[in-house]
Amino acid sequence: MKVPLGKLFSAFVHIGLVAFGGGGSAQLYQAIVLKRRWMEEREFLETTALCRILPGPVFANTAAHIGMRLGGVAGGALALLGVLTPGAILMLLLSFAYVRFGAVPGSLAESALNGVAAAAIGLILATMLRQAPIALDSLKAVGLALVVFVTYGLLHWQLLLVLLLSVPVGMGLYWQEAAIMPAGEPTSSPSGQGMEAVGRG
Amino acid sequence: MGETLEVFLAFLRFGVLSFGGGMANLPEMARVIIGNGWVTRQEFADGFALGQFVPGPNMLAVLFYGLGAAGLPGALAAMLGMFLPGAVGAMLLVRGWEWMAKAQWSRALRKALVPISMGLSASMVLVLIQLSVDSLFWGGVLVLAGLLIYRGASVVLVIAGGALLGLLIALGS
Repeated sequence: MKVPLGKLFSAFVHIGLVAFGGGGSAQLYQAIVLKRRWMEEREFLETTALCRILPGPVFANTAAHIGMRLGGVAGGALALLGVLTPGAILMLLLSFAYVRFGAVPGSLAESALNGVAAAAIGLILATMLRQAPIALDSLKAVGLALVVFVTYGLLHWQLLLVLLLSVPVGMGLYWQEAAIMPAGEPTSSPSGQGMEAVGRG
Repeated sequence: MGETLEVFLAFLRFGVLSFGGGMANLPEMARVIIGNGWVTRQEFADGFALGQFVPGPNMLAVLFYGLGAAGLPGALAAMLGMFLPGAVGAMLLVRGWEWMAKAQWSRALRKALVPISMGLSASMVLVLIQLSVDSLFWGGVLVLAGLLIYRGASVVLVIAGGALLGLLIALGS
C-alpha cells in the first residue's frame, strides 16, 4: 500500500522518539502493523528477518525498507531520517554537555557514566544468556561462535578478515539445512525475535 | 573538509562491516578511532554510555565519536557513514524481495549469522569491559545488572539504577 509522505515521516519520527531500551523493532511493529495496519504481520516478520543479513542496526534498516515500500525512495529516506532524528538531536545535546561539563575524571558525570556503562554491558550479557540456548543449539554453532570470539575478541584480528573467514564457512555448515523448506514455514528463523536486542544498536 | 571526509570514510567502512547488528563492530571501532586519536579510551567508554540515554539505535553514539574527531560536520558524517550502507541495502531489497526470501544462500546466511553474532557479541562485551570497567566493584554491578535483566527487570530502570549508583559513589567519596 502507498502512504502520503507527510504521514509517513511523522509516523517514523514518532517511532524514533519512543524507541527506548530494548531496540526499536518492537515499536515499529506496534506502530506500523498493529496501530496503522500499513503492513501484514507475516510480511513484517519476513522483513525483519531479511534485514538482519544486512550490515547495520536491524531497526534502522527495517525502517528504511518499510518506508520505501510505503512511499518509494523518498519514503525510505524519510523513514530512516525519521527514526534517527529524535535520538540524533538528543545525542548531540548530550555530547555538547559532556564536552562542556563532564570530561573531568572523577567528576559526578564521569562516575554516573561508569554506572550506566556497567548496567548496559549487563544488558548485553543478559541478552546473550537468553539467546544462547537457541543460538548455540548444535556443536557447529558453538564452534563457529568460538572461532569468531577467539579471532576477533581475543586475537584482535580485523573484523573484515574474521567475517571473510567465518561467513563462508558458516554458510557451508548450514547449506544442507537451508535447503529444507517445509510448506508454510515463515522465512524468519525461530530465534529471529530473540536476536533483537543485540542487533538493536 | 578533508577531515570530515576522512571521518565519513572511516565510519562508512564500519557501517559496511557491521554485520550481526550495529554494535558488533564496536571492538574494531574502538581500535581504529582510539588509534587515530579521535577520542581517548575513557571518552570511548563514556560515549557508549551516553548512547544508552537516547531513543533509536544506540549506535547513535557514533555522533559523539564523530564530534570528537571533526566537530559538528564530523558528527553528521559519522552518522551518515554508519547508517547509509545498511539502509541503502534494505531499500534495494524491496526490488529483489521474492528471490531473496527463497534463495538457499540467503537462508544459509541467516542461519550462519546467528552463532556468528553470538561470537561478535561476546567480543564486544570483552572489549567494553576492558575499556570501562576498572574495578572489581563495577564488575560486580555489571554481573548483578545482567542477572536482574535476565530475570525480567526493566532495562530502563536498571540503567537508571547504574547512573544513580555512580552518582552516590562520587558524592560519598
